[in-house]
Amino acid sequence: MSTDTRADRGGSLLARPLNWLETQSEEVYAYVLLAPAFLLLALVAFYPLIETFRFSLLADAVASADPFGEFIGLDNYVDLLTGDTTFTQQFISVSTTDSFPFVGFDAPFLQQALFVTLAFAILSVLFETLIGFGQALVLDQDFYGRRWVRVSIIIPWAIPIVIQGMIFFLLFNPTIGFGTEFMQWLGVFGDNPLSSSTDSFMIVLVADIWKTTAFMALLILAGLQSIDRGLYDVAKVSGASPWQRFRYITLPLVAPALLVAMLFRTMDAMRIYGLIDATAGCETVPSLTCLVIIALQNSRRWATASAVAFLTAIVISGFVVVYLLALRGNDGGVA
Amino acid sequence: MGGISDALTQSLYDAGLDESIEIEILPGDFESGARRSEFTSALDAGRASPDIFMMDSGWTIPFIARGQLVNLSDELSSETLDYVQNDYLPSAVNTASDPQSGDLFGLPLFPDYPVMHYRRDLVEDAGYDPEGENWATEPMSWQEFAEMAADVWEQNGGPGGDFDYGFTTQGDNYVGLACCTFNETMTSFGGAYFGDHENLFGPIGDRPITVNEEPVHDTIRMMRSFMEGPDAEYAHPDFPQISTTDLLSFTEEPSREPFTSGNAIFHRNWPYAIPLNLDSEEFSAEDYDVMPLPYGIEAGEGEYEGTGGAAAALGGWHLTINPNTPRLDDCVQVLEAFANEEVMTTNFAEGGYLPPDPSVTESVDPDDVGALGDFLDTLAVAGQNTVPRPVTVAWPDQSPQVASEVSAAYQGEKSPEQAMSDLESSLGSIESDLAE
Repeated sequence: MSTDTRADRGGSLLARPLNWLETQSEEVYAYVLLAPAFLLLALVAFYPLIETFRFSLLADAVASADPFGEFIGLDNYVDLLTGDTTFTQQFISVSTTDSFPFVGFDAPFLQQALFVTLAFAILSVLFETLIGFGQALVLDQDFYGRRWVRVSIIIPWAIPIVIQGMIFFLLFNPTIGFGTEFMQWLGVFGDNPLSSSTDSFMIVLVADIWKTTAFMALLILAGLQSIDRGLYDVAKVSGASPWQRFRYITLPLVAPALLVAMLFRTMDAMRIYGLIDATAGCETVPSLTCLVIIALQNSRRWATASAVAFLTAIVISGFVVVYLLALRGNDGGVA
Repeated sequence: MGGISDALTQSLYDAGLDESIEIEILPGDFESGARRSEFTSALDAGRASPDIFMMDSGWTIPFIARGQLVNLSDELSSETLDYVQNDYLPSAVNTASDPQSGDLFGLPLFPDYPVMHYRRDLVEDAGYDPEGENWATEPMSWQEFAEMAADVWEQNGGPGGDFDYGFTTQGDNYVGLACCTFNETMTSFGGAYFGDHENLFGPIGDRPITVNEEPVHDTIRMMRSFMEGPDAEYAHPDFPQISTTDLLSFTEEPSREPFTSGNAIFHRNWPYAIPLNLDSEEFSAEDYDVMPLPYGIEAGEGEYEGTGGAAAALGGWHLTINPNTPRLDDCVQVLEAFANEEVMTTNFAEGGYLPPDPSVTESVDPDDVGALGDFLDTLAVAGQNTVPRPVTVAWPDQSPQVASEVSAAYQGEKSPEQAMSDLESSLGSIESDLAE
């Protein structure tokens, strides 16, 4: 494109950079257009993150008006990672031993926030994906009353977290609920599931799966519906079995949608707090976010709370990177 | 205190408060922990509003230690200061004062202490005589109480009979276990967190830690017997079963609900439950009564000063002034007006809030104070033997440690000795961490 005479005549401040822009490649052009959005993101996402990191390098000052003490470097992180904080629930607390498997837990497994959160995220996302996939496959079929089945599957997703928490809390309440007796009849739970870390962890896990499977089902269904039906016809004519049709058509084509759905769910699961607070409580099932709240509100240890929050962000971003790597090879991917 | 605000405001003006000072009572969270977080952020941020806070006696001292409240010893008139220091419930005043200088930073608004709620009809039917034996004012021992409660429960079918519980109290792993139910029971057996009660408010790091001792172990064993019977592991062989392991998940309201709905015979709770129980549809007001909590050993027989006797945990609230307020003089006037017998009586009658001056409770006309009027004698006795929680800047860290170790021992996951030894070391490391 040649420089046009009107712009020369104007010679304005606006015209010059615009002219320069037009001489650049499409890539540079894209980055320039994205710059304001990046700036905004830096302001609302990175500034708090950096401040949190800065706070986490200071000492707690529980006995003075200013909640932060002197600069102590990474001491808060050392305390957290060696299980040396003043909380009953630790971030992580393992030590090495002489015999196999060479590591031991200093605090009970389910009183260590990192393990609780990881176990919760992995198990809940696994079951939600499997059950959600099954539901999506059913919903993808044409059958009478499909609309009503869709509605009934989505209902748990529409229930507010605190109400959902109360449902499960009341189910296992010793005076009102019937859940405890039923589970004891099955031989699974003890007398007081809501006071036991293991039983409460199961309750929180099942409550989350019950609710969020619908979310997975919907996202996967959207992926399924975008698949060209003609492919299945071709496969049938070529004599492909139902398993082969699933393995070679459905799975690869739905994979990008599936991975994005799993990414969202994993990030959500790593931040679990509300459901725990409304059922068993952070004392019984401490997640990473629980630990932040305990440090901030119960102990008024702002610096320690900041360190936990920053570590949580690191753990979550670790998971995100794994997903992004998995998505990289896909055309429909996000990376 | 929303519902009674008009009557309260009028009583303050009647007590001599300048009528040009307008009082607006802002709603606060019902839950104490949420209220503490709210006030912490307001004061950490240096906000000037609200002018006056209503703070829990369980967490006022950390705010004092951080220098975030107005020193009332410098502001209040000497008359008011004398009245507070001489006539207010001393344990309440202690939780509103700087442990080091003794200066007053909070004006106790109302104290709170638990009583034993019980079904008098069932007890009388079982052949006991609360009236003749002065249950209302003479505490019985835990031994006598447990045997009597087991008997009454048994006569009504025992476990699986007409009543799900002989006795309900709070055994959940929560703040109330550390501050209150466990604290008071342990104290009544002669046990203590930090030795003599003069150590309750410090000095941090320079006081003994005395949880791993026999009276404390016995308290846990007794609760194990109450829940699982004398033959259970780690249970106390001398005490019968009077409840179930449901106690392990009970906080105040879940433990009150079975009592009010006619499913429990005895129930430990704060006075707020009195009007609720009087309104029960399952039993009439004549069938209901209260008595002081039982004692483990006689008062003064404990190894540590302040222990033994029918200890009742001290709850309650203080009024404190925001140092950032532009209206300090007005705030001081309002607090002065609160230190008045008429205002206390209005508060008691309209809202059921106990007067911080125990002599007001004793002299008040029972007809003036509604539902609580019939129980003034018991409340006066309970108020004489209150035990505050050991609140210092270390307590927010220590209280969850106490609750979780005691809860583990109640559940039988750990032996009482193991749990209290673990607690001893975690309390110790917090003490040395925050040593003054």
